[in-house]
Amino acid sequence: MGFFSLLVLLVFNFSFELGGAALHEIGPGVLWSAFVFACLLGLNRSFADERENHSLDALLMAPGDRGAIYLGKMIANLVFLLAVELICLPFFALFFNLSPGFFLLPLLGVLVLGSACLSAAGTLFAALSSTMRLRELLLPLLLLPMIMPALISCVKATGLVLDNQFGAALYPHLKMLAVYAIVFVTLSLMLFEYAIEE
Amino acid sequence: MKKNALVDNVLPPLVCISMLMALAAALLYAPTEKVMGDTQRIFYFHVPAAISAFVCFFLVFIGSVQYLRTRYAHWDRLALCAAELGVLFGLIVLVTGPLWAKPIWGVYWRWEPRLTSMLIAFSIYVAYLMVRTHGASAGQAPRLAAVLGVMAFINVPLVYYSVDLWAADQQLHPQRNVGLEPEMRYALWVCFAAFFLLLSLLLKRRLELAKVEEAVEKMRQRVAAGMDH
Repeated sequence: MGFFSLLVLLVFNFSFELGGAALHEIGPGVLWSAFVFACLLGLNRSFADERENHSLDALLMAPGDRGAIYLGKMIANLVFLLAVELICLPFFALFFNLSPGFFLLPLLGVLVLGSACLSAAGTLFAALSSTMRLRELLLPLLLLPMIMPALISCVKATGLVLDNQFGAALYPHLKMLAVYAIVFVTLSLMLFEYAIEE
Repeated sequence: MKKNALVDNVLPPLVCISMLMALAAALLYAPTEKVMGDTQRIFYFHVPAAISAFVCFFLVFIGSVQYLRTRYAHWDRLALCAAELGVLFGLIVLVTGPLWAKPIWGVYWRWEPRLTSMLIAFSIYVAYLMVRTHGASAGQAPRLAAVLGVMAFINVPLVYYSVDLWAADQQLHPQRNVGLEPEMRYALWVCFAAFFLLLSLLLKRRLELAKVEEAVEKMRQRVAAGMDH
């Protein structure tokens, strides 16, 4: 996943002929595109072991709330995504001539919130698509329009942070991300048992 | 059954008449708008189509929730048919919008909040239909689709607000409380009525078709099972 997102950064670099100057216009978009594609790769694998070994049945038989399976999977996806982002970020800074500074701290906050949104929705859709035919194709088709609200705010918030604007302009986007994450975690907890039922 | 036959006999001519009335109301009766001229008349189809699309999306939500609760096949059929019609009406909106925008804004497409959110909602329901046709096996399709139908509908307001946040300065749609001339308002109501009648007729027909399709599928399976023996 990490290597893949680096490659995405490279592809964007060549397709747009980026230099340091373009950082503020398209930098955030490039960064989040790389994360989203990496996230899709990871999500496609997130139920693969269960599917190949038919061990989902065993998980389902375990006494306890099925929401716990969702939460576990979601946290795992979140951790992987954050790891990828941390690998990616130094290279992003390198490619875009970004010098480290105070903005890294709020940027980290945006990354955590945004990744929580991506993995909250992503894990449910990964569970949904895991039993489908053409799952590798359908997961992005399903997930991309669904995460659009989160993605919009991620890109905007990242842009503001890179511009060193941490004030009132940033706040609505963070609120949007928090609302999105809460709504999707809650919904997923409610719907997960229907998504994986055998 | 008798009531059904009555609806069958009355609804199609009613749709025809109301559509003709809507055409007359939008093209002849309604006064020409001062600034935009005749171009504005597309509004009488654009707005009812948009509302109809959202009614359909809401029906998908109802069908999905009810299917997950009760597991009755007819709720699943409602969700499927409403999703198809929602995509159809959404397409009408997305086609009439740019047609109007070209003379008024000078371009067919602008990344304007409401246009963008309609496009995203539209693509969510297209994805929903693709899952139904390509993704899931017949046994699990209704359940997976129902989960999707619930998520999709909850996502619609989120899309709406986030896009508003994203491009607030691009907002070009008339906001609420636009003062409409009384004649314009009457014309709009006629068009609303025509679209809702059309929606109910299409939905009814599509539901009947879905029911027959299901019966045929069951029969086919029975025949295939019989051949195995």
